[in-house]
Parts: sequence; C-alpha cells; structure tokens
Amino acid sequence: MSAITAACAIAILIPLGDIIYQAALLGGPTLSFSVLTAGLPQPCSVPVNGVPCAVGGIGPALQGTGILVGLAALVSVPIGLAAAIFAVEYRGRFLGTAISFTADVLTGVPSVIAGVFIYAYFVIYDPALVFSVITGTLALSVIMIPIVTRTCEEALRTVPHAVREAALALGIPKWRTTLQIVVVSALPAILTGILLSVMRAAGEAAPLLFTAFGSRLGFEGFNNPIEALPLLIYNFAESASNNWIHLAWAAALILIILILITNILSRLTIARMVRRMRGE
Amino acid sequence: MSAQGSTNSSTTATGSSSPTMKRQTSRTGLYAAVAIVVIVVVVLAAGYYAGWFKGSSSSNSGTGCQPPAGGTIKGAGSTLVYPLMFQWESVYGGGTAVNYESVGSGAGITDISQKTVDFGASDAPLEHAQVVGLAGTALTIPESAGAVVPIYNLAGVPTLNFNGTILADIYLGTITNWNNTALQAINPGVTLPSATIQVVVRSDGSGTTFIWTSYLSAESSTWASKYGKGTSVSFPVGTGEPKNAGVAGYVEKTPDTIGYVDLNYALNGPIAFGKVANPAGHYIAATVNNTASALKDANPTLPTGTGDWFNVSVLNAPGAGDYPITSLTYVLVYQDLSGTYGSSYTLTEAETLVDFLYWVVTTGQGYSAQLYYVPLPANILTADEVSIASITYNGAAVPNTCGSSV
Amino acid sequence: MDPTTPSSPIRAPRHRGRGWTDLVFFGLVAFAGLFVIFLIFAIAAILITQSHLAFSTYGFGFLVGTRWNISPTEQVYGAVPFIADTLITSAIALVIGFPLALGSALFLTTQAPRWLRGPLGTVIELLAAIPSVVYGFWGLIFLGPYMRTTVEPALHRYLGWTGGFNGNETGTDVLTAGVILAIMVIPTISAISRETLAAVPVAQKEAALSLGATDWEVTRTAMLPYARSGVFGATILGLGRALGETMAVTMTIGNHDALPTSFFSQGQTISSLIANELTNSAGPLQYSAIIYAGLILLAISIAVNVVARLLLWRVLRVSRGSVE
Repeated sequence: MSAITAACAIAILIPLGDIIYQAALLGGPTLSFSVLTAGLPQPCSVPVNGVPCAVGGIGPALQGTGILVGLAALVSVPIGLAAAIFAVEYRGRFLGTAISFTADVLTGVPSVIAGVFIYAYFVIYDPALVFSVITGTLALSVIMIPIVTRTCEEALRTVPHAVREAALALGIPKWRTTLQIVVVSALPAILTGILLSVMRAAGEAAPLLFTAFGSRLGFEGFNNPIEALPLLIYNFAESASNNWIHLAWAAALILIILILITNILSRLTIARMVRRMRGE
Repeated sequence: MSAQGSTNSSTTATGSSSPTMKRQTSRTGLYAAVAIVVIVVVVLAAGYYAGWFKGSSSSNSGTGCQPPAGGTIKGAGSTLVYPLMFQWESVYGGGTAVNYESVGSGAGITDISQKTVDFGASDAPLEHAQVVGLAGTALTIPESAGAVVPIYNLAGVPTLNFNGTILADIYLGTITNWNNTALQAINPGVTLPSATIQVVVRSDGSGTTFIWTSYLSAESSTWASKYGKGTSVSFPVGTGEPKNAGVAGYVEKTPDTIGYVDLNYALNGPIAFGKVANPAGHYIAATVNNTASALKDANPTLPTGTGDWFNVSVLNAPGAGDYPITSLTYVLVYQDLSGTYGSSYTLTEAETLVDFLYWVVTTGQGYSAQLYYVPLPANILTADEVSIASITYNGAAVPNTCGSSV
Repeated sequence: MDPTTPSSPIRAPRHRGRGWTDLVFFGLVAFAGLFVIFLIFAIAAILITQSHLAFSTYGFGFLVGTRWNISPTEQVYGAVPFIADTLITSAIALVIGFPLALGSALFLTTQAPRWLRGPLGTVIELLAAIPSVVYGFWGLIFLGPYMRTTVEPALHRYLGWTGGFNGNETGTDVLTAGVILAIMVIPTISAISRETLAAVPVAQKEAALSLGATDWEVTRTAMLPYARSGVFGATILGLGRALGETMAVTMTIGNHDALPTSFFSQGQTISSLIANELTNSAGPLQYSAIIYAGLILLAISIAVNVVARLLLWRVLRVSRGSVE
C-alpha cells in the first residue's frame, strides 16, 4: 500500500514541479529590472523595418495588481473583520450564525460571477465607471470579504472565553475588549488569513475581465481601467508574438514567486504558533 | 486558496487556557511577509510617481497637434486593428492620452452601446438591431483597412493556394482532410499530407469573423443560408480561441491547423498563410499593396457618418492583382457627446477624443503601411473629417487642434 | 501586580446598558455583518433581474434547451451544452483527482516518515495557491500538446471501444480541461482528507493492529469508515471549486458551443461561456441568456458548497484557519 500511496503523492508533485520549472525556465531569462518596470510593448515577433522587437515589460501589470489588491484589502479587511467580530462576539444572536453561514455560501461563488455582478450593476447605474479601478477593486472585494470573514471568525474563536470574561469583569468595555485584547491575541491568524486572501485576489483574472479591463498605461485615476498580472498573462499567453509570450512567462513566474513566498511564510508562522501553544 | 492552517484546538481539547495576555514573542515570518508586502506597495507607489509605468511615449509629430492635458479616453474593440491602434496610442499626445483595449469587435460594439468607452472599434459595421441598441446617434468612421488571411500549419508546405469554395467547405466541415482532391487540384506541385484539418475559429465576438463569414457567404450559398455573416456565428466545427492573437498563437503551435487572422498577425507570428483566388482568377498572397489596390478598385460608395454602413463591402475587388478578403475597419463614436454621456463627461475628454480622431485620419495614416495596414485614400479621409466635424459637445462643435482645417 | 490590569484606571462597572461607544461599536460590526448577508442577496438579485429577458423567453425550458446558436440567421439559446460540459469536466476532475488526493492523504498520514509529513503536505497544498490563469497557460503550452501527441492516441487505442474516446485528437478539449481541473482540486481534497484522517482516534487504529491487521486493513477498516464523511465532504468541496473555474478551463477546452459527443470534443462550460461571450453584442437576449446561465452556475455552486460545509462542519468547527 505504501507504494501506491507514495505513487499518488509523486503523481501530484509532477505537474506542480513542471509548472514551476517551466515558469522558471521560460520566464526567468526574461526577468530583469527593466522588465519589471517598463511598459507593455507592441506585439511583435520579427523586426519591423529593421527595428528589432521591443522587449517591453510588465510594469503596469505589477502596479495594477498592487493597487487593485491593496485597495481591495482596504475594503475587505475592515468589513470582513467586523463581520467576523459580530458573528463571534455577539454570537448568541441568530444573525451571528447567519453571517457565518452566508460567508461560507459566498466562498462558493465563482470568481467570474463576482465580476459579472459588479459589471452588470455598473452597466445599469454608472457606465462610465464600468472599466475602472473602482469596479476592479469591488470585484476583488466580493471574493476577499468571505475569506477574510471566515478566517477572522476561526481566529477569534481560538481565543478562550476566559480572557473575554476576565476583561469584562474588570469593567473594560466590550469594544475595547474585542479590539485590544481578543483581536490582538488572534492577530497572527488574522493577519495570515488576510495575507492568504490577498494572494488569492492577486491571482484572479476572471473577475477583472469585465471590470478592471486592462490597460497599456499605468495608474491613470480611479475611474480609468488598469492592468493586472493575471489579466496580462491571459492576454499575452495565447498570442503568437514572441515578446508577448516571454512577458507572459515572466509575469507568471513573478506571480508564482509572490504567492509561494507568502504561502510558505504564513504556514511557517502558523506552525510556529501552534508549536508554541502546544509547548506551553 | 486553501490555507490548511492548523491553528489548532489545543484550547478546546484540554481546556487549559494559557492566558493569552502573554504576547507571542516571535512572529518573524509573519512580520517579514507583511513587511515585504508593504515594501512592495511603497516601491510601486514611488515608481508610479517616478513615471516608471507609463507606456512607451514619444511626442507626436503632428504640427500644432497637441491634445489638452489631463484627458484620458478609453476605447475598446477590434483586435484586427489593435497593432495599429497600439502604435497610435503610443505616439499620440505623449502616449498617455488614449487607452485602447483589444477585446474584439463584438465587445467594442457592446461597450460603445453601453457607454462604457469613449470610442468603439469594429471591423463589422453596425447592423440594424445594434444601431437601435445604441444610446444615441453614432458615427461610423473608417480609420484603416486590412486583409484577412488564411493561416495554416503544415509541415513542409510553405505556400498553399485556396479558393472561397474550398475555404467554405473546410469551415462547414465537409472537407476534413488536408489531402482532399479539391485542394490538391489547385496545388499541383505540392504534396499535401494526409491529416485531419484542425479548424480554428474565433470564440469571441469578432469583426474578423464578420469579414471571414461575409467572404464565405459570398462564396458559398450553403454557408450563407446556414450560418450567415456576423461577429458571432455558431461555427459547426472548430476550436475556438479568443482574439486574433489567440487564433494566431494556436495555429502557430499546433500542427495541421487552419485559421483566419489579420495580415499583421500572420506576418508577426510569423505564420504561413495561403494565397486566395480573387474574382479575376489569380491566387494572391496578401500584401499592403494589393490590399490597397483592392480598396481602390472596390471603390465602395460610402454613406454619411450617421448612415447605414452594413452593406459597405470591399470583398472580392475586381482588379487582377487585388486581394479578395479585404475590409475597412471602423471607429464608432457618438455624435452628441454631452447629450449621450451626460454631465459627467468633460470638455477635456471631448477635446481629447476629437483631437485623437483627427490625428488618426491625418498623421496617423502614416503609420499604417509599416504595420501592414492600408493608408486610406483621400476621399475616405475627407469624408471622415466631415463626420468628425459633426461631433458636438453642449450643442457646439468641439474645439480641436488636430483637424486639417485648423 | 495584576498583569491583566489595563492601562486606564479601572472603572466601576455600569449598571445597565453599555456605554455609547459600545453601542457605536455594535452598530458598526452589525452593519458589517448585515452587509455580508446583503451581499449574497445583491448578487442573486442582479443576476435574476438581468436574466429576466431570457427567463421570460424560455422559462425553465432554458435548462433543457440543447441548442445554442448565436448566428444572425437563427438565434436560439439553451443551457444544456454548458451545464453538461461543466458537469463532465468536473466529473473528470473528481474521477482523476479523488483517488490521487486520497492516496496522497493516506500516504501523508500513515506511510510517510514524520519528518516528511509537514513539508510534503505544504508542498502539495502549494498547488492550490497557483492561480488559475497560470494553470491555463501551462495547459495551453504543455499539457494540451502532450495530451494530443501522447495521451489521447493511447486512450483511443485502448479505450476507443467504449465510444467515448473517438474523434479528432486536438488536445484542446473537454478531457484536457478535466485533467487541469483535477490538478487544481487535488490539494483541496487532499488537505481536508488529511485532517479528517489525522483526527481518527489512535485507539481505533491500535485496536485493528492488535487484531493483526496489515497497514491496508487498518486503513480500510479503522480509518476510512471513520473519516468517510470528512473525505466525502472534501470531495464535494473540490467539486465546488471545479465547477466555477474559468481561466484554466477557457484556455484548454476549445470553446465550442455544442453538446460534447466524446471526451475529445471541444466544449464550453458555463464559466468559459461567460468569459467568451458576455460582451458579444449579439443582442440583449444573448446577454440575458448568458446571465441566466451564470445564475444556474451560481445556484449549483452554492448548493454544492453548502452540502460540503454541512458534511464538514464537524471537521471544520474545530478551530483552524480557513480551509476552502
């Protein structure tokens, strides 16, 4: 049996290894500081009138992902954390369970539906903003809010009741108890959950197809479209132009590196925290 | 997406709650991650202000043609004309005034109908139902013309002749093998392999599809009655790929495929493309010159800007050396900007838009040939300028610096 | 010194009610909580209203309509091809993914040396962190051609008699999309299965061992029955993820709007349909029909997700980080 199960584990590792290997092989040589900052190039495989193809860069996409994800976090984290606090701290009420359940339901919403939701709403109520940073942020927030809510909820539940009761017995008002004591003690898990939802949002392309839309330029204002790494990968990946394909691999490599680093770091932190809790 | 984080249940298991007033002392990994994210954000913000992320910019070469500062207009649509649009937007107004997204003519028409963009670009002129679906009177302004070529991937076959009947049969699914008799008959010197033809089509709403299906409808009555011409057609066979780039990319990497793309994409693969028989009976490999002569010989009667352009066609031009699958490509803009978009639409935007359009039909045409698009003849450009001049903002013509009358 | 003394002086507890700050705090968090509940209704509401045109044209017949034709010569809309393709690709994903995920979970909980368990588990779960579009890119460039040149001819040779492996071998088809989805759902199923299996009480396993069971028999008799609902729930959760995947699918499935006739057929799932055709401009009925299909997808995804959560609430309620 160990042979079969080991074979399963190895079979799973093969595609993972190949993806990372190919991304490193094809994206690595393209990476350079100028590629990280330069603008998108004209798609091109052969020199035009003797002018060689521009290498270009993924600068606008990096910037766009940073802005969209940062703004989406700014929107999602307060709402998600607050909703989790409500669900956990005021748990006697029916609403608390309802929020927990709804957050679970929302995590099942496909990301493309989140994009369609924002797109359809803005087409009716404010068409000028349909393709903009604002809608891109909102679409990513729809995806992030349930994840943040669930993670914060789980994190807050790990704080023992005795802590809250002790604080309240000392006369500390509920809001200070929650914010300064409960949240703070659950902070590592909360931060980890936020990081993970951020990294998930950073990799999403479907909700941005109809909202952020993509852009050749960098940030041009909140009411203008913006590029993002996953969008760039989608647009460039299928092309026949060599410079675009190289940039797509470079962008894929960057995205993989960013996500893997964050994932590994957050796991190490949680592992360390668990070991400490067990060891005490 | 999954963090199988085991923030484990030591508390619930034993009930021994070590008072969590004691702070966790080492969260290095976590803080490191947070710090990295914060640093990246700060660096990106700094980079933005340092101008790192602007697209390639060079000052435009139009005399006295300077768009007003601060306006950014967005356009979307045709992937066929995208390489040329990219060049235009990179050059015009320092490279930061126009943002054009290549999403397909279908999406371009939808976007302009829903007023989510300042201009749409489509290789397919508006059909009646789409005109009704617009939010106001729109102008159809041809800004360029291109050739749609049949690209293919056949090892050892660098050049191939096609005609309309065979292409229609391939796309109907009635011809399925590369070494079929009809294709072999018009390619006497070529050894065609025996392989299933892998047909590639567009999966999104496409003006290139409109041009291709218009041609197939003209060449095959079966096609015309079953599928017709349009930006979206339910192709009976074929793998669907989005955008010109997607079709080009797929054909380039997959053997035995055939697809249809604009000439620029074929030459920038580079991907082999076939010669097509024109009405005069010659097999023509598309070039800028024979596309331009096709446009000239077809000599279409153009309606006014607000008229019905649906029947404008430059397919199957009569000249001996003309490339048959040629088409104009259009910009779609609203005529009454403030009335259609509402009060939030600023004069700066209107000026940027009108300036850009003027620039495109004057200086911009000089960039066409090197990217394998046809510089439009003077009569079309003059008609375009008349259309652009009819754009109004708050009831008055839009002030501009780029029109040739300025 | 009492280490729990807050920095501000101790106030005498209030007799009734809370301070106004507590009320404001309560208001804020309640608002956020209500917002989360409101969000799901808002999504459903927008989709329902925007699909109204298609619903009034086709009613529930849309769910059984088998033709989707966007040609100008004849426009007719029916969702069956997309529902079928969505279910088929997800089924392929589970058929391939479930055994591999369970096998690796068993490996990690029973067979692997202790030093390997953590790192290997982490590595497998890293698969889940790779974005869908990167999977699609890899599938387009590497997996698709590999399927076309190696796997599909072999499948046709050995399994062609079943009738499901015939047809044009392009590598861009329902099968390839299913394989990519399998790779994407394996970490989800594996992670939760591992937790479930790890939660099996030692006593169960020791009892089986004391009766002379082999490794496999211990697993079969002591662990798997105990972990059954957890593993099943994990699989349903993986299914939920597979149903909604867009980018990886649209880059590998061939985007053809018709019922598949074999595993080698090009197809179109509901999510790839939305990505490709939402802004097609074939008219308001087409837009509405696509939203209608999206509504169906939303309903299926939510139903599947809820079933999974109900099965897993015992496993998940023991506080841990977010497991999707």
